[in-house]
Amino acid sequence: MKVLVTVKEVAAVEDDFEIDGLSIDDRYLEYDLNEWDDYAVEAAVQIAEAADEDVEVVAATIGPERSEETIRMALAKGADRAVRVWDDAIADQTLLDVNAKASVFEQVVAEEEPDLVLTGVQAADDALGATGVALANRVGYQWAAVVNDLDYAAGDDVATVRRELEGGVEEITEVDLPAVLSIQTGINEPRYASLRGIRQAQQKEIAPHDLSDLGLDAETVDGALELTDMYEPESESDATIFEGGAEETATELANVLRDKGVVGE
Amino acid sequence: MSEQGLLDVVDSEEHRMIRNTVREFCEAEIEPIAQEIENEHRFPEEIFEQLGELDMMGVPVSMEHGGLGGDQLMYALVTEELGRVSGGIGLSYAAHVSLGSKPIEMFGTEEQKEEWLEPLAAGEGMGAWALTEPGSGSDASDMDTMAVKDGDEYVLNGTKQFITNANVANSVLVKAVTDPDAGYDGISTFIVDPENDDGFEITTVWDKMGLNCSPTCEIQLDDVRIPEDRLLGEEGEGWEQTKKTLDGGRISIAALSTGVAQGAYEAARDYSTEREQFGQPISEFDAIRDKVVDMHRKIERARLLTHKAAWAYDQGQSVSRESALAKLDASEAAREVAEESVQTLGGYGYTEDFAPQRFYRDAKLMEIGEGTSEIQHLVIGREIGL
Repeated sequence: MKVLVTVKEVAAVEDDFEIDGLSIDDRYLEYDLNEWDDYAVEAAVQIAEAADEDVEVVAATIGPERSEETIRMALAKGADRAVRVWDDAIADQTLLDVNAKASVFEQVVAEEEPDLVLTGVQAADDALGATGVALANRVGYQWAAVVNDLDYAAGDDVATVRRELEGGVEEITEVDLPAVLSIQTGINEPRYASLRGIRQAQQKEIAPHDLSDLGLDAETVDGALELTDMYEPESESDATIFEGGAEETATELANVLRDKGVVGE
Repeated sequence: MSEQGLLDVVDSEEHRMIRNTVREFCEAEIEPIAQEIENEHRFPEEIFEQLGELDMMGVPVSMEHGGLGGDQLMYALVTEELGRVSGGIGLSYAAHVSLGSKPIEMFGTEEQKEEWLEPLAAGEGMGAWALTEPGSGSDASDMDTMAVKDGDEYVLNGTKQFITNANVANSVLVKAVTDPDAGYDGISTFIVDPENDDGFEITTVWDKMGLNCSPTCEIQLDDVRIPEDRLLGEEGEGWEQTKKTLDGGRISIAALSTGVAQGAYEAARDYSTEREQFGQPISEFDAIRDKVVDMHRKIERARLLTHKAAWAYDQGQSVSRESALAKLDASEAAREVAEESVQTLGGYGYTEDFAPQRFYRDAKLMEIGEGTSEIQHLVIGREIGL
């Protein structure tokens, strides 16, 4: 069987940063694999490792050449190969919306014909949180969102998933394959890539595709959303950090609580 | 990250990924217990088990013998990251690889590699070597430990001093005199099995100024009988082997020192931007800014020398001068940077709640082990024709 995992390189922002137009100045960014995707990769690799049959794990990403180093971490952790889609038309977007992403991944799914697609619940940077479900809708797969426990063995026709609902409620659902599951953090414990895994990953394929390779044109990624402004909201809260040993800081905290009237004299 | 050294010149995605992964592991698994294992004087077996699972225990050992097949630069990057969080773990690691494993790979027979190198490279056992003696430190060839041939066995007698990992080791490469009249050419190397060879005894595990999670032992060899196939290389080759081993070993101590310095520097840099006195972060006072900038300068210099020596080693060049220079400079940088880090944190820097004091303690050994700074000067002086 084949498991497709969608992964994304996301930018983490340093504590102090500057905004340059519609984005954060590159000097303040560090790139890493999206946290949720790390769990999705782990879930896929665990299925492959526990399987009696051959399970191919394919990572798919939309990202520039720079992102290969990040995507290669998924290969180092056990994915077999990767597909990377990029195009000038994608680079030109101020914001690649869910519709555009679903269109791209729809073609990847058409090409790869996976039995199971695992996505992260959301990406840490733009947090749209809809790509997985939108993709399921496009390709006509069953789906389950915010999965925090997965009971599935390679070859089964049904996956039993536990989903996290609002207010601390959870449900257990059976999902027929082929399916798209959006994976929540905490579902497993993502491994460190072994150094041998990293070395082997250098030989694994990351196949580059542009939109025309996927039979798409530039307009496909012209989304309905446009990024118009980026700014830091004014902070109204006021935080005091006490430094030093426990006794000293406890005294300081007690003084504040007394001053604010939280506790009596 | 700014601490690239030659990494952005070499521009290897593989090296960067390995460095970042090791850093991630070190920050999550080692940093939180680094002070605790120092205070307990405890060798953290569980950490070394994990290092084995991540294929870190044989980074520069060939894949054929269970290693990662990486180069010296990769090994230096890994060692630096360990030093950045724990000098002690870094020291046991570097001794395991450079002194305990690499000589078997360089000088051993195929059978010896299978039996003794493979478990080390796979992380199933720790490596060690025993050169120093109570009466022979910098003048290392003036040793009293003797190995006498008796039929198809050698009988070893003597005392070895300051042996890293000896009480947790799978094998110890012991230097001993086989021909008392031959001087440098009378020294040989033997693979000793601490667990199964009778007469091998750990007589002291030293309490030290720092690096206390890395065991440093005194060994007594009392009629230790070992089969002749435990001789590493040929009789009389021990000294040449030692020099070759230390060329690589010094690069790893340079890398370790760079890591210790980096850890101390980061503690000072972060503290100086957060700590406020006289109404502003102390990093905005010239006195502290210049201090932190100097730390950064010294570390970058040490790292470049280390990477250059590693790179030259990987090109197959002779690196006696390069590795001595890197070790001399990086160990000095580690001690100076760690001292200034303590000073930057003031009273807090002197407490065990903060890391600088630990780096300061750890750094001092770097100027002593694997050749003192004075011996590095001697080596470099000879290399530049003095």
